[in-house]
Amino acid sequence: MIRKLLYAIPIGILLISCQDDNETPPQPLDLTARLMAGGETTVHSATSIAFETPAPNMTAKNLALHLAGDAQFEAVFVTAPAEVNQGLGPIFNNKTCIECHPKDGRAAFPTGDINALSGFFLRTSVPGKDPHGGPVPTPGFGLQLQNQAIRNYEPELKFKVTYTDIVETLADGTKITLKKPNYSITDPYTTFPANAMLSPRIGPPVFGLGLLEAIPESVILSRQDIDDSDGDGISGKANYVWDPVAEKMAVGRFGWKANTATVLLQSAGAYKEDMGITNYVFPIEAGVDQSNGNDGLGDDPEIADSILDEVTLYCRTLGVPAPRNIDSPQVQKGAEIFETIGCAQCHVPQQTSGNFPGIPSISNQTFYPYTDMLLHDMGEGLADGRPDFLADGNEWKTRPLWGIGLTQLINGHTDFLHDGRAKNLTEAILWHGGEALKSKDSFKELSTADRESLLAFLNSL
Amino acid sequence: MKTYFNPRTLLTLLAASIIIACSSDDNGGETPQPKSDYKGELTNTANNVITETYKTLNDRALALQAAVNDFTIGDDADFETVKTAWREARSPWEQSEGFLYGPVDTEGIDPAIDSWPVDVNAIDALLASSEPITATLLATNDDARGFHTIEYFIWGLDGFKKSGDLTEREVEYLKAATADFQSKTQQLYDGWKASGGNYAANFINAGENGSLYTSQVLALTELVDGMITIADEVGNGKIEDPLNGNGGNAKPEAEESRFSHNSKKDFADNIRSIQNVYLGDYAAVSGKGLTDVVTANNADLNTKIIDQIADAITKIESIPGTFTNAIANNRNEVASAQTAVKTLQTTLESELKPLIQNLK
Repeated sequence: MIRKLLYAIPIGILLISCQDDNETPPQPLDLTARLMAGGETTVHSATSIAFETPAPNMTAKNLALHLAGDAQFEAVFVTAPAEVNQGLGPIFNNKTCIECHPKDGRAAFPTGDINALSGFFLRTSVPGKDPHGGPVPTPGFGLQLQNQAIRNYEPELKFKVTYTDIVETLADGTKITLKKPNYSITDPYTTFPANAMLSPRIGPPVFGLGLLEAIPESVILSRQDIDDSDGDGISGKANYVWDPVAEKMAVGRFGWKANTATVLLQSAGAYKEDMGITNYVFPIEAGVDQSNGNDGLGDDPEIADSILDEVTLYCRTLGVPAPRNIDSPQVQKGAEIFETIGCAQCHVPQQTSGNFPGIPSISNQTFYPYTDMLLHDMGEGLADGRPDFLADGNEWKTRPLWGIGLTQLINGHTDFLHDGRAKNLTEAILWHGGEALKSKDSFKELSTADRESLLAFLNSL
Repeated sequence: MKTYFNPRTLLTLLAASIIIACSSDDNGGETPQPKSDYKGELTNTANNVITETYKTLNDRALALQAAVNDFTIGDDADFETVKTAWREARSPWEQSEGFLYGPVDTEGIDPAIDSWPVDVNAIDALLASSEPITATLLATNDDARGFHTIEYFIWGLDGFKKSGDLTEREVEYLKAATADFQSKTQQLYDGWKASGGNYAANFINAGENGSLYTSQVLALTELVDGMITIADEVGNGKIEDPLNGNGGNAKPEAEESRFSHNSKKDFADNIRSIQNVYLGDYAAVSGKGLTDVVTANNADLNTKIIDQIADAITKIESIPGTFTNAIANNRNEVASAQTAVKTLQTTLESELKPLIQNLK
């Protein structure tokens, strides 16, 4: 213990004593408080394990459940019957949680064959609303398209993508070519309805989710400005979605369009739709009424109730990596630019959680996810044209930005946005439109040095 | 009371020394501080331990593929050659699990090589079909390729497969599976070597422009995190699940390399992976490693880590008979090995990692 203390002390002193008074950057934003990006769940790690580390403040009981969930998150499912991990499919997108959330991080857009096993898939629905105001399943295909199947079963279809180039020019003359994906389907197992809509998805990071779930509903709603009554060009709308466990409407928090209320529902839905693993929340196979979707084994639910609960707790209690270099003048300047060009209006830096029953480690925390948890019109460029509860075809939920600067190290790529179309942070910013158009245009006008400061700030997260 | 640390005295001393180190000279610049340089440790570990382990793996994958291609159904000697070649290839793979970062993860190579469990139904359905079995076809299904699929074909579910038991169709599958396997080990080795993807450069040039690691200390911490990760996996996963996975009783189906009864070797090689990275030694090469950094700061800890690594390997190897049998009949010996691994993990986490993280 003494040795630990001995090493800890000089760092603190260095920070104070080595400040260079002669070169105070203009308007530096003090980021000291934001070091605890996840409040007490913060992990001070910047290596490949930074997304997959348990929150350090868990109770022993929850840590044991977390570790059990960790093992289940990596379980690979196989064709039933089998001694271990049976029940894959019959139709599915992937076989294990960890392949779509590698190292609990972000999946890459599949390079080469878009139908290779990856963290990418398409959602679908036909026009209209279901009894709860949600999307109407595409007849014969449901709400998610499974492009894989176990042997002797047919996948629902295969995905296809082509690209259209969009050139953006920055103030310093730099030209950036964005590749806009155009998705379609091939080889459907039965007729694919002509009016069916498609919306692409890529697996996002899964750390910090419990904190986001523990933000009081009233806090999220207080930031709404549906009709932009303050006239700042930014609206902000909470999604309201059906929670089949609580059997009520609730604020949507998870998924790229905030169409899911809880981590439990997100996990249970992923087991069922992504892997074909039935569970106590969703005990019926995704394709049960389809010729390719019923395994006829009568073995549902295919995982024990405890497994779903462990995985849910696991995703609720992963630690949040601390930012790096927050005392760098360049990073501090970038943080200031993040405010002045309006990024922080939606990517709201600070949030506070309320009490979360059973998980004290995520309760009553002040943390820095950089999201308002609300839907915003992101413009035609990003639009999927597929409504999901209150989210219209142009709206997406503000993504948290915490940990984003570690993506290259941990996941080996920087494919950002809902389908990984942006190949780096600059492209991701340039894809912003709609309510974010003004900020994007301001970004384009930045000097090269200011742009690099902004990127340095984002990469410090 | 021979030694007594007064934290306040310590603080004063440290503060004084740092104030001196930070004082400006007449030109307004800072007096250069002596900074430790770990390039030697990082270069040796990346090149001579990590990249070389992958080279061995790829060489042995080529040997396995050759053995399968030379196999004649019913020839016992051929079959033994294949089995030996599988074990020989398995060893460097397990010795690489102390560094599961970089291309092995980001390029999806780990699941392609080492997915578990095997999807026996998928394999049987493919065998029963008339579809040509090719490496390209197998690449679409991680659960029916790689080490454990090959293991399943050459040992069978019960571990007693005979050379004459294989069918032509199974040999066709084996040839495709070993070709696919070798293509992935090649990709892995190429991803690290200087003339390929040169992932090693991230470690060698840590702290410089172009490296993923913004400091040498961060790169050293990555090495330590990799060691901790595999110690955790062996102690709390690979041994724990088969030993206690059935409500505190044995769960034989949870054993990873149970067809070949290679589990004890797998576990010992995992700990050797920790040993290789820690010492900076691999095969005939003995170079600089974490051990040199630790020795300079805390010689006792260095001795402790080296001893605990050796103890873990010894206890794993002294489990009597097969691991399959031992989890039922020699549970104390298995538990003793597990304890040794967990003890090592604790030391790595609570003593080695803080020392490395706080290096200057």
